[in-house]
Amino acid sequence: MIFASALQEPLFTIADKLPVPDLIVTEWAIILIIGLFAYFATRKMERVPRGLQNVFEMVVQWTFDFFGQMLGESVAKKWAPLLSTFFLFILVCNYSGLIPGAAYIDGFKAPTSDWNITATLAIIVFFTVQISGFREHKMHYFGHFIKPMPLMLPLNILEEVARPLSLTLRLFGNVFGEEMIIGFLLMMAPFLIPMPMMALGLLTGAIQAIVFTILASSYIGAATGEGH
Amino acid sequence: MEGMFAIGAGLAVAVGALGGGIGQGIVGGKALESIARQPEIADQVRTLLFITLAFIETLTIYGLLIAFMLVGKI
Repeated sequence: MIFASALQEPLFTIADKLPVPDLIVTEWAIILIIGLFAYFATRKMERVPRGLQNVFEMVVQWTFDFFGQMLGESVAKKWAPLLSTFFLFILVCNYSGLIPGAAYIDGFKAPTSDWNITATLAIIVFFTVQISGFREHKMHYFGHFIKPMPLMLPLNILEEVARPLSLTLRLFGNVFGEEMIIGFLLMMAPFLIPMPMMALGLLTGAIQAIVFTILASSYIGAATGEGH
Repeated sequence: MEGMFAIGAGLAVAVGALGGGIGQGIVGGKALESIARQPEIADQVRTLLFITLAFIETLTIYGLLIAFMLVGKI
């Protein structure tokens, strides 16, 4: 039940070959919403920002400062756009499943409560970490796989592979667990009782988005940092 | 047999949450202690605190996922 993916019941198929489940459509809608907001915020850029542009400039400034503190200025400039996109996307995904019982309505489920989608995000992080480390240290980057001694090679590789796995399961488990618990409560008492749990869901959604981003940036920081 | 699945699901969450809860309590307490001692490093401690709590919480979440899988088998 839990690992049965949404990919089994496609909403429609593109050219009879590519099945598109409803979660993917929800994801497209979220991408479209974020994209439209960003487009309208930056359409008429002014020197003294007002309204939406002001909000977006604040977000960009804050994330660049935050990642600059964690990664160092030059590395943060390269990877902060990706990391803040992760944050915004996961946040909106988590909050898109806030309607009571949304987990049981097709198309209203939070995309992050399906492990396929969190796995996609985690695999992107995995490749980003390798590429960022390689860019920073060139061939010396691969030296860290045989540190402190060549005997540690299997363990080091295992560590790299375990990271996307734990990123996947953390985000998926938290969002899915939250939805399941709200679902159980809704079944037992439809009114008022699930409210505290849903308020907690607001908090969990934001914290999981922050945690995913912080972990991704600390992995990038470890790959690009000193010691290779 | 189904009873065993139910007991297993309960144990997976209970034991998983027990260890994770103790661990997170220690981490949170120590973090508060260090912030109270040195308020100027509060920002750095907060970031590290979130990372550490996330690592510990993952172990509990593994237990929760196993519990859901077992409940699905009943």
